[in-house]
Amino acid sequence: MEEKKKYPKPSIFKPLRHLKYLFRKPVSHPLDTIFTEKNAEYLNKNNPFRKNKIKNSVPRTAPDNIRGFHVNDWEKCIGCGTCGEICPTAAIEMVPRHDLPRVAGELQQRPVIDYGRCCFCALCVDTCTTGSLSMTKEYVFADSNPDSFKLMPTETWQDQEVELGYQKTEVTDLLDLKRVEMEHIEPEERIKSYIEVVRGYSKEFAKQEAARCVECGVCTASCPVQMHIPQYIKAIWEDDIEGGLKQIYETNPLPGVCGRVCTHNCETSCAIAQRGEAIAIRWLKRYIIDSAPDEMYEKIFNEPVSEVIEAKVAIAGSGPASLSTAYYLRGLGYHVDVFEEKNRPGGVMSYGAPQYRIPDYAVEKDINFIKKIGVNIHTNTRVGTDITLEELEKKYDAVFLGTGFFAARKLNIPGSDHPDVMGAMDFLPITRDFARGAIKLDEINVKKSVVVVGGGDVAFDVARNCIRIQLEKYGKADVKLTSLETLDILPGSDDEYIEGKEEGIQFFLGNGPQEIVVKNGKIKGLRVWKCTRVFDEEGRFNPTFDSEQETLLEGEQVFFSVGQAPDYTFIPESLKDKVTIERGKVKANKDGQVEGLDWLFVGGDIFRGPDIITAVSDGHRAAVAIDDYLYTNAKKKEQSEYVKEIREAIRFNNPDLALKPTRKRTLN
Amino acid sequence: MKEMKLFLGPQHPGMHGNASVHMFVDGDIIKRSYLLPGMLHRGFEKQMERKLWVNNISLIPRVCVPEPDINEMSFATAAEKILKLEVPERAHWIRMIILELARISAHLMAYGGLGGPTGNYTLMYHAHVDRNLILDIFEKITGARVYHQYIVIGGVRQDLPDGIEEDINVFIDDLERRLVEYRDLGIDNASIVKRIKDTIMLPEEVVWELGVTGIGMRSAVNKPYDVRKVVPYARYDQVEFEVPVSDYSDARARLDIKIKEIQQSIIIIRQCLAKMPEGPVRVKPDRGQSMRWTVPKGYAYAPIESSRGEFGYYMVSNGGTSPWRVGVRGASYPQGLLGIEKYLPGTRIDDAALWVDTMGICSPEIDR
Amino acid sequence: MTNSINNLELVKELVSKTTTILKEENIDVQQLAFEVNTCDIHHVLSVLKSAGWKQLSYLSAVDWPDENKFEVVYILFNWDKPVYVQIRTKIDRENPSIDSILPIFPGAKYYEREAHEFFGIAFPGNPDYEKQLILEGWDDIPPLRKDFDPSAYSDRKFPSREYPQDYSVTDEKNHSLEKRAERKARAERLRTGGKKQ
Repeated sequence: MEEKKKYPKPSIFKPLRHLKYLFRKPVSHPLDTIFTEKNAEYLNKNNPFRKNKIKNSVPRTAPDNIRGFHVNDWEKCIGCGTCGEICPTAAIEMVPRHDLPRVAGELQQRPVIDYGRCCFCALCVDTCTTGSLSMTKEYVFADSNPDSFKLMPTETWQDQEVELGYQKTEVTDLLDLKRVEMEHIEPEERIKSYIEVVRGYSKEFAKQEAARCVECGVCTASCPVQMHIPQYIKAIWEDDIEGGLKQIYETNPLPGVCGRVCTHNCETSCAIAQRGEAIAIRWLKRYIIDSAPDEMYEKIFNEPVSEVIEAKVAIAGSGPASLSTAYYLRGLGYHVDVFEEKNRPGGVMSYGAPQYRIPDYAVEKDINFIKKIGVNIHTNTRVGTDITLEELEKKYDAVFLGTGFFAARKLNIPGSDHPDVMGAMDFLPITRDFARGAIKLDEINVKKSVVVVGGGDVAFDVARNCIRIQLEKYGKADVKLTSLETLDILPGSDDEYIEGKEEGIQFFLGNGPQEIVVKNGKIKGLRVWKCTRVFDEEGRFNPTFDSEQETLLEGEQVFFSVGQAPDYTFIPESLKDKVTIERGKVKANKDGQVEGLDWLFVGGDIFRGPDIITAVSDGHRAAVAIDDYLYTNAKKKEQSEYVKEIREAIRFNNPDLALKPTRKRTLN
Repeated sequence: MKEMKLFLGPQHPGMHGNASVHMFVDGDIIKRSYLLPGMLHRGFEKQMERKLWVNNISLIPRVCVPEPDINEMSFATAAEKILKLEVPERAHWIRMIILELARISAHLMAYGGLGGPTGNYTLMYHAHVDRNLILDIFEKITGARVYHQYIVIGGVRQDLPDGIEEDINVFIDDLERRLVEYRDLGIDNASIVKRIKDTIMLPEEVVWELGVTGIGMRSAVNKPYDVRKVVPYARYDQVEFEVPVSDYSDARARLDIKIKEIQQSIIIIRQCLAKMPEGPVRVKPDRGQSMRWTVPKGYAYAPIESSRGEFGYYMVSNGGTSPWRVGVRGASYPQGLLGIEKYLPGTRIDDAALWVDTMGICSPEIDR
Repeated sequence: MTNSINNLELVKELVSKTTTILKEENIDVQQLAFEVNTCDIHHVLSVLKSAGWKQLSYLSAVDWPDENKFEVVYILFNWDKPVYVQIRTKIDRENPSIDSILPIFPGAKYYEREAHEFFGIAFPGNPDYEKQLILEGWDDIPPLRKDFDPSAYSDRKFPSREYPQDYSVTDEKNHSLEKRAERKARAERLRTGGKKQ
């Protein structure tokens, strides 16, 4: 009990000192400083005892980062639904808002918050992909009706402009905005050969990259074939290559190719790209294909798809559109014959895009699987000469044309008839054969210094091919690239520009070619004028030039990469009148069925263009349309349950027309 | 004489939270008693298994209402132990400021809670006013008054706002002055001392038998058995503070220690504000977006010194996106359940409320 | 910190002398974990208690349905040689039972009752272990078992709440969102599992 003596002597008077607090100002917040106008009005109306006592006094201002009620900036919001996904209390529900425009990279839905459940943790704000969601300093809301606590946040709170409270900062951001660095072969190394530039992700990195996806799915609508993008990315993250492969093959029979050279509209519309770097969707797809062993492909179709429907389809050309049609028709149960004029199938994949972007083995992997399920590909058979279209019409029940744009276009300027002036589509197939070793170096006509005209991806292909050939031939490269468009509106992709620059292309952007200067039968260079504008006020292509600002781009050779042209010589006289061709493209309905010729279908560049993945989507639609056309009249159509399932899947996945995203140029 | 059954709580000014002490009394002496928990059971341990690592932040502060930050800290350190994640230096110091402010607020609430069973409501009002001022500081730092959701795996959610050091300094200086007044009103007030001294004693053997920790233990064993000293977490090994102890554990001694601990917390906060370095406050536990964060396989127990004793989360991860098992060791578990059953009999009815208050019994952490 | 390393060594020596250790983990400088055989639990705990680890900090269980086991965990602490010691043991999931440690740690009484309530583990030797503690009128399997689904339970027990508020603006011809959901559901079916890491 010694301890007790240490205590000070208790007193009954000391507590009385606290009486002084009677005269102090209270430190707590009086009630009437927390009511907004609306709440005060409500309480005054509904409180029988204290009539009009509650003032809508100046409400107490909450601190700067208080987590109050939400506001959502609809201008920024894309309806991705990530807020609803992360909400720990399941308070956020996405409601359809079809009054919003349907555009790429957005969903027609907006969040609605149930404040009976909300715990004001602000994880929705932290994870918001666009940064549209934030919290306000408003934290009082009273109503006698319990149903009124479900609210849709808009730019204002209860129709009042309010101060913002908690907002996302760099520290609180829960998204990973940085892409996992993809390894590229160093420029000095890669220009020496046709080695593939992009190395591809390792398992570790692919999983890390896949972990960035928020699974919102805004990307799918802008993919021409509407691939199951979020799902196969999730499959990578969970290390389920087989599931991912199956999901990919549902909508795209050329994933190895698309994993390398796709225009990736999905990445342009990616929700993460709103504030950061888009998920590397294209490379993740490539990762699945690269890491799927051949045996795994057998699991895509559990049973071999035999010819269960007695009807035959001929396909002219073996580019992406044709192969896609062939694959799906085969899946639907038809007999399919593909005719290709060159000695390799693949069209633009084998003869257009350069080897360092898409190596042969990748094309072959895709095509081998298409062959394996029973598509017959007849190479070295040109429709129109080796076999006529009329013959095809007779022998087959339907014909699909996917002959593409394989002729080169040149500009009609003085000097363009010189033999050293080449079009891109004349040149690229040669380089591809050269890379394979089918053509010797001496046979290729590439001079010591060249000028490439054009700003699209193909122009870059030409220029970068020239660098590789020049280096091998002369040990030194000199490639100039000129285009009408300046960098901000350059049609070529960012990757091409960056890599092209690294490899040593000299850029003269924003110039219009006027004349190829020829002296003594040899090209001296290209005379260009400064381009003052490319598109007029109405957005039409209508370039104007400033003749004062003239430059001569010196070079011994000029390559034109100003677009490609179709070749319709295979269409016989008897059909010429029935096929309408408008601006180089065949007129047909949405699915590619030529009007007036029910048996004839078209797809790819000659129908819609402009890229591989759109061609694949044309093929899918055409296959379903051909099925619609042939199925009712087919002689034999009994199927197993399994084939029925496959048919159903192919018809279910028939893609809608894609929404085109507006590209945000990141380079300057 | 006939035995009579009495309930203390769940609706009783002397009961903290929704639990009920069932007492079988003879006259005013308790013959048998036990706690009936379960009125606040919300299935937190189960829910934590079903929520993402990042989502659990909305859940964990609710395990203990008067002092929510210890939950966040314990959850975060347990996960960091499994992750082997090094938290930024500044985050450690910010965490300590938050934890000590929370300790002061919990002690004030318990000390003010003495007003209920002893009838001195002025004490309660005063304690709540000061606690309210702490909540104002919390609101400025974290954006919420009670459920702060501020300490996260990998650090703290965001940096301190500008000028908060000033606010904290003003408050703790003021509180330090007021501590004398708290003594005058409570443990040095003649009428209260008469009521609380020599009541509900806690001898040392009982401490070991029950497994009581915290103030209850330190008031009985006279040794600085404080997790902050013994198993230092955050940067408690780099601040100087004393652990107040006593060898005579009656209700008054325990309250005396509470006041002394508030004083020590003030000292710790001052040191934190002085020693806190600049720098980042948060690292992400994993690559990718938060819904795909994972924690590798592992077990960890993260003990924290709460205002009521050793509080800890036992965490098991199987490498997934949510914890496999989270067990909460509520600090008031031994004194709240076994203490009431074994040790309350023999005391008087009115002492039961004092036991609940001075031993720090928090029903939400018993129920979870 | 030298002290704590000595303490770790001391615990390791103590435990390895008493029993065969199935698994040993260093959680951090002041925490150790041992997995031991179920029959050795009482021996290990009493040895540790007499060596100073006289505080039982925590007792609970973990469900491992894949292995068909429950893991019972005891956490001990010694305030003078500050090392937390986790002692774990696995018991069968069918009719789980482990002898109560009440004779060693009287404080385990309520922890064991709780473990029984939430996992269904029997603790012979504890007179009260079967009494209900927290869950009043529980009529389902013990809730912390992994096969208990709380949302199904709540759907069964409580009415769901419908809100009359409808903020949607719909166009009958527009099926883009439904189509998206259908596609997603289809793609999910193609998955072959994989393993979450």
